[in-house]
Amino acid sequence: MTVESTFGSPRLPDTAPSWRWRILRRLLSGALVLWAAVTLSFISVYLAPGDIVSLLMGEQVQTPAIEAAIRAEWGLDQPLYMQYLHYLWRVLHGDFGRSYMLNTDVSSLVLSQLWPTLKLTGLALVVSLIFAVLMAVTTVHRRWGQRIAGSVELVLASTPSFWLGIVLLFIFSFTLRWFPVAGDRSFSSLVLPALSLGLSQGAVVSQVLRRGLEDALDEPFVLTLRAWGLGNATIRLRHALRHAALPAVTLTGWLIGGLLSGAVITEQVFGRPGLGKITVDAVLGKDLPVVLAVAIFSALVYVVLSTLVDILYLFIDPRLRDTSGEEKS
Amino acid sequence: MKVSVASLSALTLLIISSSQSLYAAEQPQSGGTLTWGVETEPNTLNPQLNGQSKAELILRVAYESLLARKPDGSYIPWLATGYSVSEEGKTYTFTLRDDVKFSNGEKLNADAVAENFRHAQDPAYCAGSSICALAGRIESVATPDEHTVSITLKQVYSPFLSFAAGLKLISPSSWTSPQLKSGGTDLAGTGPFILKRYEKGQQIEYVRNPDYHWASANARHQGPAYLEGVTYRFLPESSVRTGALLSGQVDVIEGVSGNDAGEFKDNADFSYQHALNTGTPYSLFLNVKYGPTQELKVRQAILQGLDISPILQSIYRGERTRVWGITSPVDPLYDASLVNKYGNNPTLANQLLDESGWKTKGADGIRTKDGKPLSIEIIQAQATVRDQRDVLLQALQAQARQRLGIDLKIRYVDSGTYTEVRKTGEFGSIANSNTDTDGIDIENHYLPVNAGGAINYSRTDAPEIIPLLKGASQTLDNTERKTFYGQLQHFAILQQALAIPLYEPEDQIAAASYVHGVGFRPFKQMPENAYDVWLSKH
Repeated sequence: MTVESTFGSPRLPDTAPSWRWRILRRLLSGALVLWAAVTLSFISVYLAPGDIVSLLMGEQVQTPAIEAAIRAEWGLDQPLYMQYLHYLWRVLHGDFGRSYMLNTDVSSLVLSQLWPTLKLTGLALVVSLIFAVLMAVTTVHRRWGQRIAGSVELVLASTPSFWLGIVLLFIFSFTLRWFPVAGDRSFSSLVLPALSLGLSQGAVVSQVLRRGLEDALDEPFVLTLRAWGLGNATIRLRHALRHAALPAVTLTGWLIGGLLSGAVITEQVFGRPGLGKITVDAVLGKDLPVVLAVAIFSALVYVVLSTLVDILYLFIDPRLRDTSGEEKS
Repeated sequence: MKVSVASLSALTLLIISSSQSLYAAEQPQSGGTLTWGVETEPNTLNPQLNGQSKAELILRVAYESLLARKPDGSYIPWLATGYSVSEEGKTYTFTLRDDVKFSNGEKLNADAVAENFRHAQDPAYCAGSSICALAGRIESVATPDEHTVSITLKQVYSPFLSFAAGLKLISPSSWTSPQLKSGGTDLAGTGPFILKRYEKGQQIEYVRNPDYHWASANARHQGPAYLEGVTYRFLPESSVRTGALLSGQVDVIEGVSGNDAGEFKDNADFSYQHALNTGTPYSLFLNVKYGPTQELKVRQAILQGLDISPILQSIYRGERTRVWGITSPVDPLYDASLVNKYGNNPTLANQLLDESGWKTKGADGIRTKDGKPLSIEIIQAQATVRDQRDVLLQALQAQARQRLGIDLKIRYVDSGTYTEVRKTGEFGSIANSNTDTDGIDIENHYLPVNAGGAINYSRTDAPEIIPLLKGASQTLDNTERKTFYGQLQHFAILQQALAIPLYEPEDQIAAASYVHGVGFRPFKQMPENAYDVWLSKH
């Protein structure tokens, strides 16, 4: 909710040079993050136990001829730094290589799985934000409401999304048959996965948001607003929420990370396509080209989103828009 | 106890046949599509390079082989009308049908078939799959005429026929396709269904091949398939598959957990069938080269001391079958002579442990020798944890501790660690099962590691084993082979305790009552084949 309304009215900060400088710095740091993601993934996959050639060979008779064929096919006969440099060079040309395990072109594989995952995490994000705002705004400073909401949130936050998914499926798919169990064909197949993924994360945000609202409602300005004769709802939605939003927005960055990793399990339970399973399989099987491509794509998503969050800060809190107010993140 | 195994399988047959006769009054009818909820997504759709047993269900509908098999393991015509083996046993000659076409229109002739065997020998194509090792035994492939393929081996090797007869053939144009290794719509097969669409992570769709008229001799009808199409939907979670079938969102599922079987068994709206897998039972292989299991008496104590049957009963609710030997009870090479010959003898086991010097018990009840606890690490590859095997291992762990004072440590590992551990040999035990038939599994498990024993988890190189394996693989007489493997089994299990057989994995199929004709492929017992399936009004 808050996200949409703030996106609608972009107001650029006043001094142009500093704005350009910020964008440039953003782009540079983004590139740095991407490079670091590739390099660290490359190193960590190599450091993980098991040698790639034996893995590719699997549980079968190993002869020198087979081993040599595998080394030659995947360029594993080159020194490690050459493999790394070659990889960087190819990535710069948009070539992410071929998967060791699936034998398919990695970029098309990851792209085809990226969209379903983004749809899922996107809707789950909406679910958790709506849930958080609703729960927080309606129950703050209401003793019983707060207690009940607090325990609901506690239950949701501590429920594994796996289990929540099975329960939702049991009720809404197997029993009531409102939603399909699996697949990625229509919006209806997205509802249950997004709920099971979004609710537990939303519960955490909601608790932070409520605390923020509590503090905001205790501020002297609320008394002023009341003196002006503003209603309770208006005060909460228009004024207090804005004050409480900053920590919640910060948390949303964390939330997106949680959603992306939670998607692994949700996709499995709901039989959905997505990055989740291919990533887990790739990591387990040391499928380096896939691991690296996923690392690059997720780093890219993080960079884009954290940039958006930073911009969001500027709109929520005018004090940050001062020329002196450099990025605070 | 032989009787009970025989009567059990007779009972299974009876159940299967009675469930079929139930609908015998209704005539099979054409039309409709089937949605099948499956557990495993193929890692490659190339049917030759895919080594996942569970992917056969999906790939077999489009890709076929030279010969089919009867339940007793003997061979019957399919794409080949027959085969012969030369006098000295080295050359296999297949005669092909002359009316078979791949789904892209290319003809199945001697050249097309020979090309499949030639590629199977090329490490650049087959490396990473099990066909490489078997095809490596080929000396030459010849095509004397349009319908004859002759394959000559370097030396006599009896398991070869099952490989040659079962290789899933792909069309000549496949070899130049960029999809060759990943598989896909470019790889035409001869099957009753044609691969139409693959949606990674979601499903795979097949449509009927209207020209199909070369069903194998063990199919229940001829001509095109009844179904217009079949869709396999990937549902990795067992409870989700069950729920999807119960709520009518899929028509058939495979992989039913012991807990869920009851939902379908006593329910008129569904049918439920199960069949034992072929190959090596799920067993604990004990490492003879590392840790306490190096001592024969320690291995013997584990074999004799544990009582497996009640554990299986309580975990699987009687839905899984205890095994005693080195291969599956459904394998023609199976030798039942070990049934009830060992186990559930804690007195003997504890005596063996006392004799071997593991005498004192620590405060935790674990035996020690020279201050070291009797601790054995069981390695289980995370990728093969299914069918409540984790619970099974925990139960064994508890029993070993209570009855024998042995500390079984269970370690679940990723595939990187798994290959590492197998390479270094630093583990107490590996737990696994395999499905290869015709003694291929037995060779892989009991040949010395450096002589090609690719899955020799016990790492045995006992000289007694080699002549038995050689004897078995160099004769084409199944009775003789069975005798050799029987002797091997006595040596490996009873004398040496190289492995503790636990249970035989099985496949299950549950289907809505309007689905007819689902069942298991004869002999190999994998869930099969959408070809004979038809749907009544529902």
